[in-house]
This record gives sequence, C-alpha cells and structure tokens, in this order.
Amino acid sequence: MCAERKDSASRLSLTAADWQNLPRTLIVGYGNPDREDDGVAWHVLQTIAQKFGVPISDDTDVGIFPEGNQLDFWFNLQLMPEMAPDMVAYERICFIDAHTGAIPDKIRIEHIQSKFQNSPLTHHLTPETIVSILEHLYQHTPEALLVSIRGYQFRFEHALSVETYRLSQKAADRVLSWILTGQIEE
Amino acid sequence: MVAQKITIEPVTRIEGHAKITIHTKENGLVDHAYLHVNEFRGFEKFCEGRMVFEMPLITPRICGICPVSHHLAAAKAGDAVLGAPPPRPASLLRELMHMGQIIQSHGMHFFELAGPDLLLGFDADPEIRNVVGLVQAAPEIALKAVALRKYGQEIIRLLGGRRIHPIFAVPGGVNKVLTITERDEILAGLDETIATTQLGIQIIRDWAEKNMEDVQKFAVFPTGYLGLITPENGLELYDGKIRLVDQTGVQLERFDGSDYLDNISEHVENWSYLKFPYYKKMGWPAGVYRVGPLGRLNIADKIDTPLAQEEFVHYRKINDGRPIENTLYYHYARLIETLFAAERVQVLLDDEDILSNDILNTQHNFQGVGVGVIEAPRGTLIHHYQANANGQLEKVNLIVSTGHNNYAMSKAVDMVAKTYITGPNVSEGILNRIEAAVRAHDPCLSCSTHAVGQMPIMIDIVNPEGKTIQTLRRD
Repeated sequence: MCAERKDSASRLSLTAADWQNLPRTLIVGYGNPDREDDGVAWHVLQTIAQKFGVPISDDTDVGIFPEGNQLDFWFNLQLMPEMAPDMVAYERICFIDAHTGAIPDKIRIEHIQSKFQNSPLTHHLTPETIVSILEHLYQHTPEALLVSIRGYQFRFEHALSVETYRLSQKAADRVLSWILTGQIEE
Repeated sequence: MVAQKITIEPVTRIEGHAKITIHTKENGLVDHAYLHVNEFRGFEKFCEGRMVFEMPLITPRICGICPVSHHLAAAKAGDAVLGAPPPRPASLLRELMHMGQIIQSHGMHFFELAGPDLLLGFDADPEIRNVVGLVQAAPEIALKAVALRKYGQEIIRLLGGRRIHPIFAVPGGVNKVLTITERDEILAGLDETIATTQLGIQIIRDWAEKNMEDVQKFAVFPTGYLGLITPENGLELYDGKIRLVDQTGVQLERFDGSDYLDNISEHVENWSYLKFPYYKKMGWPAGVYRVGPLGRLNIADKIDTPLAQEEFVHYRKINDGRPIENTLYYHYARLIETLFAAERVQVLLDDEDILSNDILNTQHNFQGVGVGVIEAPRGTLIHHYQANANGQLEKVNLIVSTGHNNYAMSKAVDMVAKTYITGPNVSEGILNRIEAAVRAHDPCLSCSTHAVGQMPIMIDIVNPEGKTIQTLRRD
C-alpha cells in the first residue's frame, strides 16, 4: 500500500525582512527515490519547499540543486565529497535520510559533529564525513542537523509506504520549525 | 586456548550486505576466513517486461556509484538487440562519458577511501587515519582530490544533460551532441587533472617503496586475469574483445562479449550468496581470474597514450613483465588507468568527429538478443538481454564487476587474516588490513539504497560453544 504526496500544504507568508533575517540554510536530502521509503528525503524536500514557496523540481530524473537562495535545497542519490565546496556558503545545513530501524526513534533530529567515517564495503559517505570535509578542507563549521526518518519498505516504487509518508509530513513540519526558529521541536 | 570464530560485520544499509568471519584454530592461528555477500539480485527480475530502449534509463538506478557504467552497458546491449550499431561520433561521445566516470570513481577511491590508510599507515590511530589526517599530512592533496573527482563528474554532467540519471546513450547512439563550448570547458580542466593524477602516482610509488614488506606479503596470489582489450592488446575500457590470460600472462581466450557464456561459468559456495565466476574450460577453482585495474593491466601489453604508457612500463617491471599478483598494487594500477582516462579525454576531444551531428543510427536490424560489455571502474560489466519481437525484455542477466572479483576478495581476506593474525588478540591495525584487502578491489555491493546508519566494523571472537569472548568495534 502506498501513499502519494498531497499538494494541499499551506504556504507560509514570509516578508522580505523575514527572508533577510533567515540564516543561509541548505536542506540536503539523499537516498534513492526509486526504492520507495529510501527516497523519503525527496518527499520531505518537496513538502518544505512548497510551504516556503520555493520552486524546486518534482522530477527525480532532473533532481534538485542549490540555486544560490537564502533557503536552498539539494537532493542526491548519495553524499559526495565534491558537494562540500558548494556547502561553504551556508550557515546551516540539514541532512535528511531514511533509517531502517537501527535507531529507536521513528524520527530523530540531532545535531551532528565532524567525524570521518567510511567502510571498505560501500562508497557511502555519511553527513558527519561531509561536515568533517567542510571543517578540515574548507575551514567551515556550519550548524549541521541530521534528520533520520524510519523507512519500512524498499521495493522499486516511487511512492512512500503509508507509515513513512505520515512520518515524512511530521518531519517536514519539524524541519520547517527549525528553519524558522533555529530550535528543534521534540 | 580453544578454536574460535571472528566476525567482521558492517552494520549498514538495508541488508547488512556483507561480513567477514574468521575461524581460528586452538593455537590462535587462522584456520580460514570468509567474505560473505548477501547479493541483491532483484533488479534483473524487475527489468523483465520492460522495453529494451528503457534499459539505459533503468539500470543506472542499480547504483549511485557507477551509474554511467550501467547506462553505457545497457545502451551497448540495446545496440545489439536492435541491430543498430552506433555511428562513430556516438561511440566517441559514449567513451568520453565513460572516461569521466573512470576519473571520478578512481579518483575518489584512491584519495578519499584508500589513500588515508596508505598515507597514514594501517596502524595509525583511526581518529586521524582519514581525510582529517590526510589534510594534516598533505592539505594540498586533499583539495586536489576533490577537484579531480569533480572534473570527472562535470564531463558526465555536460554529456548527460543533467547531473543524475543521464539520458544520453540510447540504443543506436546518443541523443545529444557535444558543443564547441562544452568541449573547451572539458579541455580547460584537463592539465590539472593529469597533474593531480601524476601526483597520486608519485604518492603510491613512494608508499610502495617504503612499505615493500607489506606489499610483498599482503594477499599475493596467482590467478588468471580478464578484461576488454584493443586489437593490439592495448588497455581498453570502453569496447573490444575480452581477453583472458593465465597466471603467467599467456593468453587463454580472446572472445567477443556475446560469447561470455561459452567461457565463463559460476561456482556456488554455501557461505555466500554471491557466485564465483571462473573460466569454464579450466574448471573451479583452477579457472579463477581477477578483473578491475590489476586484471586489466595484466592482460595488456601496452597503453596507447604516452604518459600512461611510460608509467605502465615502469609498473610492469615490478614483476619483470609477468602478471603482478600483489593485491596492494590494485591502487597503483588504478591510478595508471586514471592517467590513461585523462589522456583519452584529450584524444577524444581532438577527434573532429566528436562534434559531429551524426550521433544516432535509426536503421534497425532486430536481433532479439544482445550483450553489452564495458569495463566499469571496478571491473568487467556484462549486460545480457533477450527481447521478444516487440522489444520487450523476456530475460535479463547482469554480471557485475564485483562478482568477477568475488574469489579474489575472499582469497585476499583469507590470506591477510592468516598472515597478520598470530594470536587471539586481534588489533585495530589487523582489522584495518583485513578491511584493506577488500577495499583494494573497490567493491560495490547493493548500493541502490542509502538508508542512514553508522558504519561500525565489529569483530566478534566466538568460541565453539557460541560464547563471545572478545568484541572489537569501531564506530
């Protein structure tokens, strides 16, 4: 059973001053939108961008890339080291990905620190590793968050499972709140 | 002291797709070590029923690491199914994209994944044996490494028309020409790319010289070697016949990719889901072979670009012209290939056909069956499709690069464990070496999903009664 993204999210009305006071923020989603809940970050980005009225592509083949805005969005299949130079411009970076139950919370939002991690069996870079590259190669230490959302099904589907779709909406609200207030709501 | 079992398991991704177990004897020495792979095979079934022309778009979604390899192998298989060989300019453009893939993938592997181990030492504190330590040791190298990878990605982006899931290659050719502006943009970054690659080569040469003891005892073993080759036995990454040589370098076979089933068979072990390909006529295990950079340079007599050829001559002197068996020389071979790829970019861009509009063959001579072979960064990649008269796929077989090296990775893990574990206490440095035995092959396992998680490596030492008597864990 799957759930499609609703397009009824209400849009925020931010004034020019509101935008100006917003620290430059980058929302980075990663995962595989062709593998059902693994692509939850794609859906979260869509929801947040819609609420802020920021136009982003809704075509997974086209992708989402930063446009030099105060609030920017970036989606990739994976994190890559060459993303780091383009992240230097942002004071705050929020990474969003799926998790598979290895952590107890259905949604976990936490600050992350610089830490290099790799594995001989995969090419997957963690957000902590990207932050480490930012810190040590580019002398930049943004406020960095990791939002982990529970995924349940990983078949070859674009739509999310019902449960992960619900979580994606809650996660989007919490990220939105953090963007506006700088506080992480429990 | 009793016999025990050591398990190294990365807790990551969805399947926890591979782990290493080391069985020790009562005297603490290693009895045998295994690399277990839970291979993901669902994709082939998923492709059945799809149209052949869709495959270059679908198969890159197998993996975010080498999507270009799957994209191009699928297009080549599609060429064969439809009986639509691409015009020469299209082949040049496909190869150009492939060189971008080789540069970015090999560059990342050496500088970001394997480099810290090599440059800082297997026994270095894990807190510094990473890019942080690399920056402290050589800050300029780390920045150049990022630029090297980005250069390769830019080639892919310019040709693919977008940054993910390229829509470039189609059966019969490609669907986008290269503009003069794009050509010049690629050319502008070439000198720096070559310089960074040469820097990497100097690093690995210096490292090998200083660490010759490790190089000589770290998983050195004979096998056959397999890969694409030019008609004159030059290094080939995009198209050609497949050459298989034995452990002494003597040619065993030279065959068209479409004949792979006549030459390659697969062995099954009950401790791994990943099959073990081998040369059919020699049987298992005598017919095992290696692919990827080490394999490719061992089947080649030369490289057709000057700088890479100069380095190749030096490289082949290591073993007096015979095949090089040292697993750690995968890194050296990988960088020579990167240099070749960069030089090929120049050659391709200097070819006047590269700007041609003749990029698609629309005349089809439907064959129904097709095999596409390409040298992915980590080894030979085979796509085999069988379609009905409508072009709808009825059967799909993919032999991925990492599969070919299954024996080699398992053997390397076994040898390194036996060489370095001399008692019950397994140190961090030994764990690093065992990891490095796998990493040298640059495997890619089930990479189509990316669910978040830490990537700890755990070693459980378990006695025959099933009791864990020691656990090593690195987060």
